[in-house]
Amino acid sequence: MDIAHGLRIGALGATVALLVSGCFGGRPAEGGAGGDGPIRVGVSLPLTGDFSEPGKGVQRGYEAWAKHVYENGGLLGRQVELIVLDDQSNADRVAADYEKLINSDGVDLVFGPFSTRLVIPAAQVARDYGFLFVEPAGAAREVFEQGFDNLFYAAPAIAQDHYDHLAEAITAMPEATRPKTAAYAAMDDPFAQGTANGLKEKLAAAGIRTVVDEVYPPNTTDFGSIAAKIADSRADVVVGGTQYQDAVNLIVALRQLNYQPKLAAFSTAPTNPEFPKAIGAQTEGILSPTGYTPEADYPSNKEFVDFYAREHGAAPTEDEANAWTTGQVVAAAVTAAGCADPSKECQRKMIDWLHANEVRTVVGPLRWDSAGRPQGAHLIQQYVGGEIRIVLPAEAKEAELVYPKPAW
Amino acid sequence: MSLVFQSLVLGVLMGGLYALLAAGLTLYFGVMRVVMIAHAAFLVLAAYLAWAFTVGTGLDPMLSLVVTVPLFFAVGVGVQRLLVARLRPATMTMMSVLLTFAVALAVEGALGLVFTGTHRRLPLSYAGARLELFGASVALVKLIAFGLAVVTLAGLHVLLKVTRFGQALRATMQHREAARLLGVDTDRVAGYGFGLGLATAAVGGTALALDATIYPSLHWAWIGPLMAIIVVGGLGSVGGAAIAALLLGVGQNLLQLPLGTTWAQTFFYAALFVTLILRPQGFFGGRLAQRF
Repeated sequence: MDIAHGLRIGALGATVALLVSGCFGGRPAEGGAGGDGPIRVGVSLPLTGDFSEPGKGVQRGYEAWAKHVYENGGLLGRQVELIVLDDQSNADRVAADYEKLINSDGVDLVFGPFSTRLVIPAAQVARDYGFLFVEPAGAAREVFEQGFDNLFYAAPAIAQDHYDHLAEAITAMPEATRPKTAAYAAMDDPFAQGTANGLKEKLAAAGIRTVVDEVYPPNTTDFGSIAAKIADSRADVVVGGTQYQDAVNLIVALRQLNYQPKLAAFSTAPTNPEFPKAIGAQTEGILSPTGYTPEADYPSNKEFVDFYAREHGAAPTEDEANAWTTGQVVAAAVTAAGCADPSKECQRKMIDWLHANEVRTVVGPLRWDSAGRPQGAHLIQQYVGGEIRIVLPAEAKEAELVYPKPAW
Repeated sequence: MSLVFQSLVLGVLMGGLYALLAAGLTLYFGVMRVVMIAHAAFLVLAAYLAWAFTVGTGLDPMLSLVVTVPLFFAVGVGVQRLLVARLRPATMTMMSVLLTFAVALAVEGALGLVFTGTHRRLPLSYAGARLELFGASVALVKLIAFGLAVVTLAGLHVLLKVTRFGQALRATMQHREAARLLGVDTDRVAGYGFGLGLATAAVGGTALALDATIYPSLHWAWIGPLMAIIVVGGLGSVGGAAIAALLLGVGQNLLQLPLGTTWAQTFFYAALFVTLILRPQGFFGGRLAQRF
């Protein structure tokens, strides 16, 4: 009896020991909020391939954020260590990367990759493990229609809403000067196409006729034919749902055909510092939605711009800012939850907190709906006198909207 | 109507560029039965060198050819001697795919290391300049690229048909053993043939850089269409490749009007399949593929 009882207790003890070591055995140093090792943050980025350009920007932003945290005493008193993998802009690879980060590297937190095509598979993996998933660049409608409750987009607006302020400005123009026709060319990519479609729907509803509506595969490098169609249509407005090289090649091809629109808007590319080097003086008047301006007077933004400029000798762009914002959002959740470990309870605490609260960031105060959609709109920037200036909305503008745009 | 004519003009210009970019591929296969996957990577390398030259010196990218053409010729001879020549002749075609695939990855990696992944474009004052031709616009940069193609291919033609080296090269292409028996140093000729192919990549890459945004992985977008061109044109035939390049370039540009970009891109591969089914040796010239 006594022996049997002793055995039972022994067995119970062994089971508990096994359970505990099974749960926490793999990562003794990092487990629990009380650990004093660094907080390990896993991220996979497209450092090569289609998205290498913005992917590297996001990497710079994440690294600057980590360094800033390091210099300011860490998070919960712990240092932050970034583990960055290259997914080669490949959606299969990005899922495998997050599996590896969470499973074998045992990271405490994850940050999102760049762009919708990679964010969706990555967020699925994060959800399977109950991880909080804040991402800097998955803005297309599809991202928020997958039933993710762990996902938060760390920017002011989703892709469809990027051009909202421009659509309002165009539809508010007097009848005589308002454009009558518009041509759209968009990459077959959920984000890029989402921005163009958002504007197309709003302009079409306002009676601006769609005369060209082209979609091209992401690997397209020759834009002669698309440009010929647009030039032939003589559309008043040209809108590019673009990433980077496609916008540059399309603009040059349009110039070579002497097509002169009254208004030209392209997503993403014009916010890239390489853009004016590629296009030269002909950037004048080109519009682009942007979630960020270094001049914005949100308190943490000044700190960010100063820190980043000191590190890199140049002002940050949108990619760096969105990455930094991701860091800020996660840091706010970590501080509020008082923990940073891979356990489901801790991750759930952070997720629940973000659903209920607003976070002050370098792109302004952010709050999200239940699917992780941010509740704001993008600024509209324009090249004015060779400088990027915010022209819309009226309350944030740094210069007047130039319309019609000068010849390019 | 004007749109069709404009597309035709664009197609011809693009076809010329394709012909130039594919010329080297057909030489390698002709002389050595080498399938050179790295050709497009060398095109991008030449494009980067032209970009670095222009950004560094402020001179016209065309002047970079003075350096890159001899350099690429030498590299070509080196690659042939040190790498390709070591493959067993019996499995040359298959193994050269693997070998040059590795070379392509190495070139791409080196480009990423040296120039970073940042997308670059030559800053040219005449990037948007154009001429008017019966109502169609002809971009100056595309015309220059077309001119480079014509000059290079004509030069190649003269070299192959008129000079002693050309005769030796063609003899090696036609029957290597017989050429050797007649006293041709086929190893040396093969090396020079490879160098010549890579020298065309120097010209082609510079032509490409005039009107393209370049990045290290760009070569993957090019190698497929270029391979399709040399198969349709008849493996080993420079003239055949040029005709195929023009037809495919024009065809793709015209098909974009009714079909859109996505479907027009499949035209090259459709042409490739049709060729392999109906006439595996290629439609123009090229008896070589029969032995393949």
